[in-house]
Amino acid sequence: MLSSGAVKLMSLGLVFAGTLAAQTKKELRFSVGPKAGVSVTNPYGSISVKPSNGKIILVDAVLHSDKVEIDNSQNGNRVDIESHLLAGADADSGRVDYEILVPADASINLHCSTGSLRAEKLHGDVTLEGAGADVDVRDVSDAHLHIKTMNGAVNLDNIQNGHVEVDSVSGDVTMRSVNGPLIQVVSTSGRINYTGDFGSSGEYRLTSHSGDIDAVIPEWTSADVVAHSVKGEVHDDIPLQPKSHTWFAVEKGRAFAGTMGRVAVSSTVVLRTFSGKIHLRKRQEKQ
Amino acid sequence: MNCVELQQSLAEVDDASTAEQQAHVRSCPTCAALVKELNQIIAAAVDLRAADEPSPRVWANIEAALRQEGLIRPVSQPFLPSLSAGWRAVAWLVPAAAMLLLSLGIYLHRQTSPLHAPAEASLSVAAPADAVDSDLLQEIAQNSPAMKTQFEENLRQVNQAIVDSQGWVAENPNDAEARRSLLDAYHQKSMLFEMAMDRSLQ
Repeated sequence: MLSSGAVKLMSLGLVFAGTLAAQTKKELRFSVGPKAGVSVTNPYGSISVKPSNGKIILVDAVLHSDKVEIDNSQNGNRVDIESHLLAGADADSGRVDYEILVPADASINLHCSTGSLRAEKLHGDVTLEGAGADVDVRDVSDAHLHIKTMNGAVNLDNIQNGHVEVDSVSGDVTMRSVNGPLIQVVSTSGRINYTGDFGSSGEYRLTSHSGDIDAVIPEWTSADVVAHSVKGEVHDDIPLQPKSHTWFAVEKGRAFAGTMGRVAVSSTVVLRTFSGKIHLRKRQEKQ
Repeated sequence: MNCVELQQSLAEVDDASTAEQQAHVRSCPTCAALVKELNQIIAAAVDLRAADEPSPRVWANIEAALRQEGLIRPVSQPFLPSLSAGWRAVAWLVPAAAMLLLSLGIYLHRQTSPLHAPAEASLSVAAPADAVDSDLLQEIAQNSPAMKTQFEENLRQVNQAIVDSQGWVAENPNDAEARRSLLDAYHQKSMLFEMAMDRSLQ
C-alpha cells in the first residue's frame, strides 16, 4: 500500500515530467560578419543576449508547447528570429525563452510583450521594446540604447558613453553608473532613480509626469542642474551655485537651478515633473 | 555606420540619401522610422509656415466666451466616428496621424526658444480620444487578451496626465513647463498606440 505522501510525490513527478515533455529545445547557429544585426520578436517569454566568442550568433530557445514555432531567416549580415504562435496559443503555451549569444559589436533589436529583456556586455546599438516586459541592461559601452516599456521596470547598470533614450509609461526606471552624451528618460507615472556622477559633458534629461525623481550623486560631481516641478516639490541636499538666469521663475520648493563642481567640464542635468517630487541627494561615500 | 553616426550625419544630409546612410537605414528599423518621420515633418512644416496662429490666450478667451454664451458644451460625443463600423481597415491611421501631429508639435516646440515659446508657439488642446481608446482596447482584447488590463490601466494614467496638464495650461497659458508636460503626455500616449501595433502583440 502506498502512503498518501508517496502518491502526492508521484503525482508531482508526473506533472513535472509532463511539463518537461511539452517543452522542446531548439538551437540555431548563424555565421555573420562585423556589426551584424539581430532582431528577435517574441510575444511571450524572455530574451537574454550576451556576447559570443567569435563572429557567430548562437540561439538557444526553449519552446513551452507545440503551439509555438520559431521562424528564422538570415539576409547577409542580418538575422531575424520570430516566435510564431499557432492557433490556440496563449501566454503559457506560446511562451518561448531565448538565450542568445551575439558578437559584442552586433546591433540587437528585441521585442516582446511579457517576460523579460536582458542584454549585457555589448557595444553595438541596442533596441528593446516590451509592453509588460522588465528590461535589464548592464555593462554596455559606446552604444545607442533605445528602450520602450509600458509598465515593465527598467534597470540600467554600468552603461558607459551611451546614447540612452528610455520611454516608460508606468514602469520604474533605475540607473546606476549610467553616463554618456545623452541620457533621456520620459515616464508618465514611473519613478526615476539615478545613482551616478552625471559624466563629464553629457545631457541628462529625466522627466516623469507624476512619478518621483531621485538623483544620488557624489559631492565632486560637475553639473549644471535645473529641477522643476509644476505642482510637486523639489529638494536639494547639495549646495549649488545659483544661476543668474533661468527660463522659468525659480519658486522656492518648486524649482532650483545652479551649478556644482567644475563648470568647464560639467554636464547639463534637467529634472522635470508635473506633480511628482524631485530629490537631488549627496551620495554617502564609503569610509 | 551605427545609429549615432547616422543621426549625426543627418545634420548635413537630412534626407539620408548617401550610400552609407542608405545602407544603415536598410538594416535598422529604428533609424528607418526616424528618417521617415523627419521627411514627413519637413514636408508638413513647409505648409505650416503659411499658418499664422494667434497665441493660446486668444483661443482660451474665445473658448471662455463661447462657453458663457452656451454655444459649446463639454464633449459628450466622440470627436471621431466609431472605428468599429467599416473603419476598422484604416483604424491604425488614426494613431499614425496623431503621431505625426505630435511629432510636428515637438518639432515646432523645439524650434522655438524657451523664452519666446509661450507667446509664439501654439498648441492645440484636445480631450483624450475615448472612442479611439476603446477601439484600441478592443483590438488588444482580440489579439492579446492577457495584456488588455495592463493597457487599460496605462491608458487611464496617460489620459489623466493629459487632463492634468491641459487644465494647468488652460489656467496658465504662459507656463512653458506645463506645456512641455502636455506634449510629453501626448508623446506617451502615441507610444502606447505604437506598442499596441508592435508585432509581438499581433
